[in-house]
Amino acid sequence: MNERPTMIEFQDVHKYYGDYHALRGINATIKAGEFFSLLGPSGCGKTTLLRTIAGFEEISSGAVLIDGKHMEGVPANQRPTNMVFQSYAIFPHLTVEENVGFGLRRERLAKDVLARRVGEALEMVGLKGYGARGAHALSGGQRQRVALARALILKPKVLLLDEPLSALDKKMREQMQVELIKLQRQVGITFILVTHDQEEALVMSDRIAVMFEGEIAQLADPETLYRRPNSRKVADFIGTMNFMPASVVSESGGRIEVDTQGFGRVEIDAAQAPGATTGNGTSIGFRPETLTVLFEGQVAADRECMATIEEVVYFGDMTYYDVRLDGMQTPVRISMRNVFGRPVLDIGTRTRVAWSPGALVLFR
Amino acid sequence: MSLATRWARFRKSEGGSGLALVSPTAIYAILLLAAPLATILLFSVLTDGYLVVEPVFTFGNYIETWTNRIYRSVMMRSLGVSVAVTVLTVLLAYPVAYFVSFHVQPSKKSLWLFLITIPFWTSYLIRVFLWKVILGYNGVINSGLMATGIIDEPLTAISYNVQAFVVTLAHAYAPFAILPIYVVLEKIDRSLLEAGQDLGESKFRTFLRVTLPLSVPGIAAAVLIVFIPTIGDYVTPNLIGGGKIPMIANMIEVLMLVRDNKPLGAAIAVSAMAIVTAVSLLFLFTIRKYLRGQK
Amino acid sequence: MKIPVLRIYTIGYLIFLYAPILLLPLFAFNDSKVIAFPLSGFTTQWFAQMWADEQMFNSFKNSLIVAGSASVLATTFGVFAARASTRYNFPGKAGILGLIMLPLVLPEMIVAMSLLVVLLAVGVPLSIFTIILGHVLICTPFAVAILTSAFQSLDRSLEEAAYDLGETAWSTFRLIILPLVMPGIISSLLIAFTISLDEFIIAFFLGGNETTLSVYIFGQFRFPAKVPAIMALGTVLVCLSICLLTIAEYFRRRGIAKTGAKDTGGFL
Repeated sequence: MNERPTMIEFQDVHKYYGDYHALRGINATIKAGEFFSLLGPSGCGKTTLLRTIAGFEEISSGAVLIDGKHMEGVPANQRPTNMVFQSYAIFPHLTVEENVGFGLRRERLAKDVLARRVGEALEMVGLKGYGARGAHALSGGQRQRVALARALILKPKVLLLDEPLSALDKKMREQMQVELIKLQRQVGITFILVTHDQEEALVMSDRIAVMFEGEIAQLADPETLYRRPNSRKVADFIGTMNFMPASVVSESGGRIEVDTQGFGRVEIDAAQAPGATTGNGTSIGFRPETLTVLFEGQVAADRECMATIEEVVYFGDMTYYDVRLDGMQTPVRISMRNVFGRPVLDIGTRTRVAWSPGALVLFR
Repeated sequence: MSLATRWARFRKSEGGSGLALVSPTAIYAILLLAAPLATILLFSVLTDGYLVVEPVFTFGNYIETWTNRIYRSVMMRSLGVSVAVTVLTVLLAYPVAYFVSFHVQPSKKSLWLFLITIPFWTSYLIRVFLWKVILGYNGVINSGLMATGIIDEPLTAISYNVQAFVVTLAHAYAPFAILPIYVVLEKIDRSLLEAGQDLGESKFRTFLRVTLPLSVPGIAAAVLIVFIPTIGDYVTPNLIGGGKIPMIANMIEVLMLVRDNKPLGAAIAVSAMAIVTAVSLLFLFTIRKYLRGQK
Repeated sequence: MKIPVLRIYTIGYLIFLYAPILLLPLFAFNDSKVIAFPLSGFTTQWFAQMWADEQMFNSFKNSLIVAGSASVLATTFGVFAARASTRYNFPGKAGILGLIMLPLVLPEMIVAMSLLVVLLAVGVPLSIFTIILGHVLICTPFAVAILTSAFQSLDRSLEEAAYDLGETAWSTFRLIILPLVMPGIISSLLIAFTISLDEFIIAFFLGGNETTLSVYIFGQFRFPAKVPAIMALGTVLVCLSICLLTIAEYFRRRGIAKTGAKDTGGFL
């Protein structure tokens, strides 16, 4: 990944709407050919940031560079970016063909060249043969494909996708996620996706910027983001994270010794504390699947402790246990894959729980 | 920042673009509406001279307007007719709007509205004249009733008088009352009515406790849109009353053009508008409870 | 079976609404100089008399000029105001739009008189031109209302999409916005035209010696002998209005179908 050149660079980007500070000093680079996601709750500034790339929002200070060029004063219609809108913005009075070929009008192509390129674009998104249809007669998924074809036909350097899957139902959404990944690999264009759906971001992206309140909280690849979130806030937003009160005992030579409420004294690697000190108290976090409720006679791979099962939620392929570890006041969640032959335990059962120091994350 | 760059920045901003875009229409309205209205307001406090308006400040025109028995009675009559027309029109219109909104299939609603609006788009003058024919001494109603032997001589209670004005105007303003009520009724979430009945109310009680209060904004719009213009109606008194029962508009015409007393005419016009505004505000104030929290 | 009280009432109300219009052709074809029952016989002489009246044609021509100009101007002003009000926030927006929409609730007599006073004071001679000035004023609010709903149903991202695909602000307007609001523009033109054609008070006071059709009709009512010919003229006008309205309604519905919006019905 490192050899890829930079496609987009944000240099201390600020955006004000009157008194409202929508973007608070964004610094980031997006590489060429990358599938990059801006993830965050609604109102965090992710769409605003995307629109500053497209040129629909002027920034108040700082700079946005696309392919090394300053974008200040460059209007949206002259930027090497194209956008897939949340509402798809399919022109209702035009046919599918006319929609897809819309951006080619200014190139004044010969009729057959235009038809060929539109045909190719439609084929690429799986809409071959739909060209003559009226735009209003399309389903949600088809509109999305038209919007993609319309943007990609111009071969932009960057494709911007503003919550493109939010209007689709669950099945369709999952199908389109896979198709979008394939499409991105096929065309090799930088994709920047805005989404509030953490799962979508994790599935599709090479790298993700998690945004809260106009700032990037963490920028990392999906695995790092999931395994080593740098704050409780990021950890909470992405997946489920258990938290346990803790205090740092000593710190030396890349090792940190922590005293935890449920696991006792643990020594962890300094890399397991990726975040800066926030002063909001120290805690240890771990994902539900990193703990295991042990069978009778089963041996823990690493460490184990005793616990009482307080709640059982059966999901078919999974079972969620809320268990109270000895020494803790509040329960933690453990998710277990339901293996054949293994019983689902009842509420109140005493059980052993396996855990591993390597799966812990320290928040300070 | 210099004035020029500040101006340039404003022009580029949203507010600047919006103002620039609206300005042709706005300037037209300011020149041909706001300025003339301001002139009328100014004239109303000036003194009438021979063929000219003397620039001498006076409240005399208003004192004359409000104390002279003739002007006062004409104003009261106009107000009475307006109120009667408004009440009649809105009362008659509500069930029609309700019927179209609640009892007509969605696909046929447009057709019903179309049917309701057609008569409104045909010559106003001819419609007014035909009401004279219908309600007149030898009119359709009287001759019909006499032919069937219900009455022996023509009813005079409906001919060429204030009652005839009210009927004619109630007809002329019908769509103005139906449409706003209809629009509001359409917006009412139908599940609210089901909730009302689910909570044990009868259909009629649900109407009284849910539908009616929720439709108040539409009724208010209908009332204002009928009440305000009717007070200035000119044609009806002229054609139906033969000019013998003047209303405010006829009196303004006489003062302004025949007697060339523009300040007095202006004072009457301003007074009429003041009364209309006061009555409207009073009305809105009375029903404010139902307008709150809705839009 | 339940008696459909509301339906019967509504039909009764429609009869009330249509009563004068239904009488119109009766008297237009009635062989009598008196507009009253009983009817005496069938004739087309009133149509012939109407057709022979040069003054009628003259005022009709004036009306067409006035209504044509007023509808085009009012719709143009309407496009500016509706676009500004749906797309931008600007200082004094409520006040400016309130002023533009004011003639909707202002008695026409007041509009006519205030304009007349100013025109006379400035020294503008009364003519067809001054009628047009007044009619633009009262037609603009209707145009703004119709066009605002047309512009409102326009998704903002459609413009951005066109812009994003390389079009300029002007070509976006021409290729996207204009075609999508065209049905609104056409129905605004037709409705402004109809209002202007029917308008009497402003035409009467601001026209000077020039008469429009409504002023001509008003004048004819003074002569009982001329009234039957007016009934004939009225019949023709009703047919014309219905044609115009049907066209307007057709375009309005087509506009709704095009943008895929829900039909809420009605012009206002």
